[in-house]
Amino acid sequence: MATEPHGTVETTEAPKHESGGLPQLQFEHWGGQIVWLLLIFAVLFAVLSKVLLPRVSGAIETRGAKIAGDIADARRLKDEAEVQARAAAAEVAEARAKAQKTAADAKAVASAAAAERQAKEEVALAEKLAAAEARIQIARDEAMGHVRAVASETAGAIVQKLTGKAATAAELKASLA
Amino acid sequence: MATPIDPMHQFLIKKIVELPTVTVPGLGALDLSITNSIAAMLLAATLIMVFYGFASAKAAVIPGRLQTVGELLYGLVDGLTSSIIGHDGKKYLPFVFTLFAFVLFCNLQGMLFGWTGNFLGFTATSQLAVTLTLGMLVILTVIAVGFAKNGLKFFKLFAPSGVPWPLYFLLVPIEIISFLIRPVTLALRLFGNMLGGHVVLKIFATFVSILLAMAPAYWLVGVLSLTSVVALTALEFMVAFLQAFVFAVLTCVYLNDVVHLDSH
Repeated sequence: MATEPHGTVETTEAPKHESGGLPQLQFEHWGGQIVWLLLIFAVLFAVLSKVLLPRVSGAIETRGAKIAGDIADARRLKDEAEVQARAAAAEVAEARAKAQKTAADAKAVASAAAAERQAKEEVALAEKLAAAEARIQIARDEAMGHVRAVASETAGAIVQKLTGKAATAAELKASLA
Repeated sequence: MATPIDPMHQFLIKKIVELPTVTVPGLGALDLSITNSIAAMLLAATLIMVFYGFASAKAAVIPGRLQTVGELLYGLVDGLTSSIIGHDGKKYLPFVFTLFAFVLFCNLQGMLFGWTGNFLGFTATSQLAVTLTLGMLVILTVIAVGFAKNGLKFFKLFAPSGVPWPLYFLLVPIEIISFLIRPVTLALRLFGNMLGGHVVLKIFATFVSILLAMAPAYWLVGVLSLTSVVALTALEFMVAFLQAFVFAVLTCVYLNDVVHLDSH
């Protein structure tokens, strides 16, 4: 059945063809093509515009939204991290300052204590020195006091040795004065 | 076996399924039988729907290969409508896209399945009836959009402002003619490109078989002919895409004329 019209088309076509006519200008085929084309186009347009293209654009929009969201998230996280980094840096600086202050304080306390101790020590030393000096003074005075007695004794002994008789205490005292 | 050079044979309309003839009052008999041209158009539309059915089935955030190609074509037309028509372009995207996809698939079908020798490889866009219908479809849509958006101000399209009034006697008829000729140029451009390319391909390809059947002395010419067939086939694929693109671009341009009539 399909071959019969095929044949008829060929035979009716042949003379036209020889005269150089385009097959496209056989107007008996125009009506069917136009009607079918409009029908096909309408169906294709309906299916594409109502079903398929919204799905395609939906996917593209979802992707765009996802990318934008992800970038916004990343930016937010970066900002957060920066804030945290700044806070951490500030904390470190504060801790360092505190540590330096503590160290300085400790040093000051220690040096103050050392100075006090030194002063105390010096006072004690000075006292000991004074006491020692006083003792020396006393010892010297005592020694000096003994010198007279030693001298008188020595003189008495010398006089006795030389004269053979002991000198009196008064005589010795008078000669030593 | 002699091969007749008959490059027009590929454009012959052949009936595939006989359907009853409908008599339309005022127009006469209308043969609705499915011919190879109609079958090719049906196939193109089906392929588009199947392709986009699969391409948009998952609608994944990370697209697969099919989805990437589908979105590429969509993005191409989307870029056209938004760059030519502007912000309102999205509204006309389905229409322009349908035109683009239909013309592209019809063009490519003839290139890809031509070897089958039946309706699968029939190039429906090489039929003047088809391209003229598409052209009329575009211009009627443009007129409909023009009236819907501007009402009777639509006629300002033919009378650009900022012109000394005596010039209107010359300008208005030119504008009207250039507007009315748009569907014809749309139709003839597509028709001519597909027809011409296919005819040239056919002639060169026929040369190859004729020359190779002759004495060995002619074989060199046959090889040259074969080389040009290969090159022309590549060119023809480009033309197939380019003409669909041009059709979509011009549709956008014509739509833009009536959408932004005020800025004329």
